[in-house]
Amino acid sequence: MLHAVVISNAILGLEHLFRSDDLVTYRFEEVTAGFDPDFGGADVLIVPNGCDHVAMLKIRDRVRAFLDAGKTLLCFDGWFTAWVPGNQWVHDNEKATKAIRYHVRADRYGLFDGVELDHLQFNHGISGWWACGYIKAAASADVVLADTWERPIIVFDEATTNGLMILTASGPLGDFSFEEGAADEENILSSLGDLPSEKAENGLNTLYRNILRLVHHRKETPYATA
Amino acid sequence: MQPPEPAPSARIGLVFNGVWSQYAFAMAPKYRALYRLLYVHDLTDEAVRGLSALVIPFQSNQPALAARKEVLYRFLAAGKKVVVFGDSQPRWLDAQWEDRPVNNYWWVTNPNNPPVSETNYDHPVYRGLSARHACWHIHGIYTRVPAHAEVVQRNAAGEVITWQTTAYGGVLFASTLDPIVEHGIQQIRHLDHYCDRLTAWLCGETPEGVFTVEPAAYGVTN
Repeated sequence: MLHAVVISNAILGLEHLFRSDDLVTYRFEEVTAGFDPDFGGADVLIVPNGCDHVAMLKIRDRVRAFLDAGKTLLCFDGWFTAWVPGNQWVHDNEKATKAIRYHVRADRYGLFDGVELDHLQFNHGISGWWACGYIKAAASADVVLADTWERPIIVFDEATTNGLMILTASGPLGDFSFEEGAADEENILSSLGDLPSEKAENGLNTLYRNILRLVHHRKETPYATA
Repeated sequence: MQPPEPAPSARIGLVFNGVWSQYAFAMAPKYRALYRLLYVHDLTDEAVRGLSALVIPFQSNQPALAARKEVLYRFLAAGKKVVVFGDSQPRWLDAQWEDRPVNNYWWVTNPNNPPVSETNYDHPVYRGLSARHACWHIHGIYTRVPAHAEVVQRNAAGEVITWQTTAYGGVLFASTLDPIVEHGIQQIRHLDHYCDRLTAWLCGETPEGVFTVEPAAYGVTN
């Protein structure tokens, strides 16, 4: 079982994307004026889309210590402050969103097994909806997914710290698998921003699940690589 | 790396909770001279002194706003403007917001049926805008607005999207549109029209040029 801490910026509906199940339990740490999150007992720190990167900068030493203890950081947001060790997200609007296409570059651990790239590339036929900008990746990190212009979109970094970082260029990930027509899906989630269509949802769910399985495997077999 | 300094002459406060799209909007060279980022957890009377308007964008921290509502209403009582986008909560805004699925693809599947069907184009923010520039998508509706409010936009079902009132001293304007966040994201590229009209209404100055991103603003360390 994985134990994850999710940083909450008190945005409505966030808890519906991170629901505990047989693989992972989630605990939420909400950003307040005196933000002082407890990472005790956690294997994974999740920074979801729509997070507070002023608050994250204030605890960057704590995040670094968490990673150096061999734990995992999953960041699915645009971190404009410099709190992620070795890697920096950068916004950009010089490329036309209609020209954005992704390709898998280095996926040593099979994060994209069963994932159709089109599910990340198109939402209701519109491209460029998922990620924003790009990541200036650490030299020793793997670029798992790159865009049309070879810019890093998903980075896998197990070299910069003693732990593991999986970072997206603000591409939201989580558990989007709601029952069709459920109240959760219809009436709670628009505050989270652009939600995926059913097809896109499949790709995001599979990718997120693959990431959790990898992190779980590493926890259970710490000296293995996959 | 240090972020570009906001202009001391900025007259609009953007109440900000560390979300990158809000930051991207306020740090864009086009808007930087007119908007000042105000971290919501540090919001005080002193922080808003000298400003002519406050903007509370979509994806704000609602509990933090509720904890500082007195700052907002004292600002309004001084005759200033407060603008609220996206969702809100009755514990700090006397209205009832309700969620609805977001349709951000209507312009592909049903281009003649935008999410808003009725707009008061005499309102200064909407004057001169086309229907598409007046609404790209909505994040929910208002099922209750204050008795003294006037409705600015409705959807096809007659539900309230945008309203305003002067009952608190200045102008309180609320809308379930999300112009600041979406313009910061830059996936919808025609929001200059709305944001420029909004900015002119809030501070009397119309921004010029195109929205650009300054890489030096990313990777800040304080």
